[in-house]
Amino acid sequence: MHISRVQIRNFRNFKALDVSLTQNAVIVGENRAGKSNFLYALRLVLDPSLPEQARSLKVTDFWDGLDDPFANGGASIEIDIDFTEFESDPALNVLLGDLRLAEDHTTARLSYRFRPDCEGDPKSEADFDYIIFGGDDETRSLPPKFRRRVVLEVMSALRDAESDLGSWRRSPLRPLIDHAFSEIDDTELVKISDAIGEASSELLKLKNISTLEDSLRKKLRDLAGQRHDIDAKFGIISNEPSRLYRVLKLYIDGGLREISDASLGSANLALLTLRLAEYEWRRAQNDQDFTIVAIEEPEAHLHPQLQRKVFRSLFAPGGTSHQSLFVTTHSPTIASVTPIDQLVIIKDQPDEGSKAHSLAALNLTKEDREDLQGYLDATRAELLFSRGVIFVEGPAEEVLLPGFAAAAGYNLDELGITICSVDGVNFGPYVRMGELLSLPYSVITDWDPIAGKDPLGWARTRELIVDIRRARGLKELSKDQVSKLSSDEAFLRSGALKYGLFLNSATLETELAKTPALADAILAVLAEEPLFGKVLKKRIAEYQADHSKISAERLMLMIGYVGKGRFARRLAERISLLAPPKYIADAVKHVVEKLA
Amino acid sequence: MKSKRLLQAALQSLAKNKEQTTAARITTNTVVLAGPGSGKTKTLTTAMARSLIEDVEEPRGVACITYNNECAYELEDRLNALGIERGDRVFIGTVHSFALSQIILPYGRCVLPDWVDGVTVATDQDRAEAIEIAYKATINGNDDPKKRWEFASDKRKLVVDRESPDWRGRNPELADFIEAYEAELRYRKKIDFDDMPLIAYDMVARHAWIRDSIRAKYPVLFVDEYQDLGHALHLLVLKLCFESGIRLFAVGDADQSIYGFNGAEPSLLENLSKRADVTTIKLKFNYRCGTRIISASMAALGEERDYTGPDGAHQGVISFHPVKGGQAAQAAYVLGTLIPKLQTEGYSLNDIGVLYRWAKHGKDFVELAEARGIPFVRADNQALIKRNSPVARFVERCARWAIGGWKLANPKFAHLLRDATSLVFGMSATDAERKQIGLELISFLKPLEPAFPVHDWLASFRSKVIGPWALRARTIGEHWSDLDEMIERTEPSGKGSALSIGVFCGDTAGAGALNLSTFHSAKGREFRAVILLGMDDDVIPHPYNVNNPRKLKADRREFYVAVTRAKEELHIIYTEGHHSMFLPELAQRSQD
Repeated sequence: MHISRVQIRNFRNFKALDVSLTQNAVIVGENRAGKSNFLYALRLVLDPSLPEQARSLKVTDFWDGLDDPFANGGASIEIDIDFTEFESDPALNVLLGDLRLAEDHTTARLSYRFRPDCEGDPKSEADFDYIIFGGDDETRSLPPKFRRRVVLEVMSALRDAESDLGSWRRSPLRPLIDHAFSEIDDTELVKISDAIGEASSELLKLKNISTLEDSLRKKLRDLAGQRHDIDAKFGIISNEPSRLYRVLKLYIDGGLREISDASLGSANLALLTLRLAEYEWRRAQNDQDFTIVAIEEPEAHLHPQLQRKVFRSLFAPGGTSHQSLFVTTHSPTIASVTPIDQLVIIKDQPDEGSKAHSLAALNLTKEDREDLQGYLDATRAELLFSRGVIFVEGPAEEVLLPGFAAAAGYNLDELGITICSVDGVNFGPYVRMGELLSLPYSVITDWDPIAGKDPLGWARTRELIVDIRRARGLKELSKDQVSKLSSDEAFLRSGALKYGLFLNSATLETELAKTPALADAILAVLAEEPLFGKVLKKRIAEYQADHSKISAERLMLMIGYVGKGRFARRLAERISLLAPPKYIADAVKHVVEKLA
Repeated sequence: MKSKRLLQAALQSLAKNKEQTTAARITTNTVVLAGPGSGKTKTLTTAMARSLIEDVEEPRGVACITYNNECAYELEDRLNALGIERGDRVFIGTVHSFALSQIILPYGRCVLPDWVDGVTVATDQDRAEAIEIAYKATINGNDDPKKRWEFASDKRKLVVDRESPDWRGRNPELADFIEAYEAELRYRKKIDFDDMPLIAYDMVARHAWIRDSIRAKYPVLFVDEYQDLGHALHLLVLKLCFESGIRLFAVGDADQSIYGFNGAEPSLLENLSKRADVTTIKLKFNYRCGTRIISASMAALGEERDYTGPDGAHQGVISFHPVKGGQAAQAAYVLGTLIPKLQTEGYSLNDIGVLYRWAKHGKDFVELAEARGIPFVRADNQALIKRNSPVARFVERCARWAIGGWKLANPKFAHLLRDATSLVFGMSATDAERKQIGLELISFLKPLEPAFPVHDWLASFRSKVIGPWALRARTIGEHWSDLDEMIERTEPSGKGSALSIGVFCGDTAGAGALNLSTFHSAKGREFRAVILLGMDDDVIPHPYNVNNPRKLKADRREFYVAVTRAKEELHIIYTEGHHSMFLPELAQRSQD
């Protein structure tokens, strides 16, 4: 089972959020985008530990953009949570089976409403009330004990790891140890506790210890007087058989330290692991049927390498279908190891409130998914955190573009614009992702003419236009329009510009050759490189003499030796007064203007 | 944990009876054949409790289908004694309420093409008009539509599967008639009671996911009084249990099948018990009746059964009382001579059941008892508190609470509240709705003296509480008018004093009241002494049935049910010289 869809209307950051989900969700977003409020919306319906009082919201919880929640009969906050695939488990079928939607019996819906409960316009907060129901039918209440069996457990920011592990009452170990002990024979426990009692009394008989004890007792008695004597004694541990289980502790570092003394990172990791073990145990005991574990910003105290390791294994396929993990994060590290279908991006959109976009909605082919996943992994999911993006074919553009942009007066880092190299020409999935995330983007691609045939860039551009129109939900192009796009270059090029697709007339190399000042600047940076040997120096000289001999591939190799970052900085210094090729300047400008 | 202990005690109490113990512990499809007084209900409730505690894990539960609401109440009381409450994990109810609350209302809107919210149960007038309209549209002949509908109605109950060749193969005009009738009801946004199991069966037959949902909720299905439930339930059981993996535990006794007029058929239970995938357990002992009464009952049935009393059982008494004259004379004899004699022998009025075949045979007796001021409780269709009406039962329990039940929490207010909520909102009410109902109920139910006139109390209950509830009820098919009937029947008549609320709910301060009942309504009950009124040659068997072996058998089963209500004494009253043809054999056997 899993939550398949969440809809939130008029609540805090959200005017109208509607997002599809899979088994797990990693919710990525900037601070204040609404990640925590998204979880809170789920808690209103599903968290058993939320007090009744908190379930009733306040007028201040309405979406900020709402003018007046009291007007026109009063506004309402609406939260709908859909579940699917509950039918294969009888227990879940019992809990959710009567809450199916009339139009789709494989989906069950739970709903929360905070809405006016009065005649006419509400006058004050007291005129609002909340209701929780199922099946899109206000008269269907949740089965009794629903929230005890389908449980949302929130682990907030893992800040209290030490105290949680240190306190017996809150320790996730407690139920596990309790249970393990409950199956041990009493006589065995008595035997052990007797032995412990004997051993500890031996220890206390040691002269140094008993002397210390006596002196402490005397001091206490002198201080408090006979009547208030508290009868202090040394002891090691309780040897009551019934309390023996509290003697057990989890130690780390080969038994040297208690887990609560672990570094913050290890303690957090331990707490997370133990909590998950506790939930699994609860399910095995039939205390719960399904656990939604919500972890808020686990990156706070986890080293990035540990983040990668831990979350890669938590999200690995083949986990239990009786648990969902919801993680909120702004850690690119965690986002980068998240299976792409489980990524959800929450973004604030002016006047629209925050929207959530699930990458599962991209409907990727296996190849596309591998492409995107590889890209996100390699770049630490930088794209998900950027404000705009320029998609380019390869590393040459990736390295040169910041310099070119600087020459045009833009600092891409400051603007939050990412250069994304798709390593080829499969722009489709990337563009669709840009559309899905409502990310301002442009695409820079080569026209790639070849002898005797249509340039490769032609069909590529035409297909991208079709793709983008589909992603935006626009009407399919007519046959005539498609054939005009395929035959009329001017029509294609002017169309492409409208969709943010920027073309040159051949390749990047020819563009550079056509712009001698730029080529010279690049070659000058390379020529300065003290480590280059004879062969490379000779090649640079050759290129300087004749720009048409430049091979982008070889150029890239050389730039690679210099180091991309170093190269880009040096180039930027040199070309700050030069104009970049027009199609590149246009592409940058396109994104920058959309950001404004 | 408490219920685990209670269950152990209940199992322990069955230990001496091998068959009962086997039945309570069995985990395969099972039919328990349970004769009169065999401890059927005890076995059934113990098996239910054991399944719920040992076999079925939360949040799944068990369901029990009963013949009528009265049986459901009895089972519920017995289960309460085992620490088990009806609620989300335990369904107890009639096949109609099972169909409605467990199948049609939760899932109907997903699969029924013409489903509309707000369907209600057809009134008698709706039904009469629909019959009229459907008859005109289809048969349009010269006979009486109502008479023709009786045949159609039988066919409707018998041929449940509309896709079977029987539906149109024979009397296709009746099939048209039925379909037109149903279409007319749907047009009016109505369903009738016979619709409920039919619609439910159709939904279950067509949709595997609905079967799965029911199995998820109730992996074990108990059916009580299987012999009295008709074809629709039988097919529903076959679908749910033998095709979808729900475990069946059916209890019944074909010999006690007396609802033939309602579509019941003893052979359904017999066929079920002959299935290879069903274990059949026969309960042998009759703990109720004296040994003479047991052997006499074989004569009543006209067939031999190997029931015996447990070791050391008493013999019991059977005596015959010829009376000169008809009903009135018999009533005078019973009230004037027989009952006083029984009282001197130590029987209180509560211990005595006066049974007659049809309600009309009780008329003279009732009038005479009223005139002589002998308290009685009727359990037939003239009953003041209809045993089968949830509304009437609820009102009665509220009365008991008000006159002092509140002191001992008997009944519990929580139970009253639960019943009220389910009357008004059905299976699912919101917390706010439940709270509101509770508030309204507790503000009305003030403690009362048992002498308070019940008529006034009922009228005030209706105007302040139940009337408004009926208006906002979400349930369909509750008989709110049962309360109107009670108010009407408690109207002070001028003769005698007004009925008090104490007497109304059976609080007769130890004096007790005679139990009056028809044979049918006496089913499932028992009395220390039973008096059978009017066992004449024109009553049982009915003269029309004497030459019809099938109907004669049905009459014998009715007689058998009546005879086996007696624990210690059976008194048979008849008009001298006009005794029923069943009596001589009975007399002979009772001498054995």
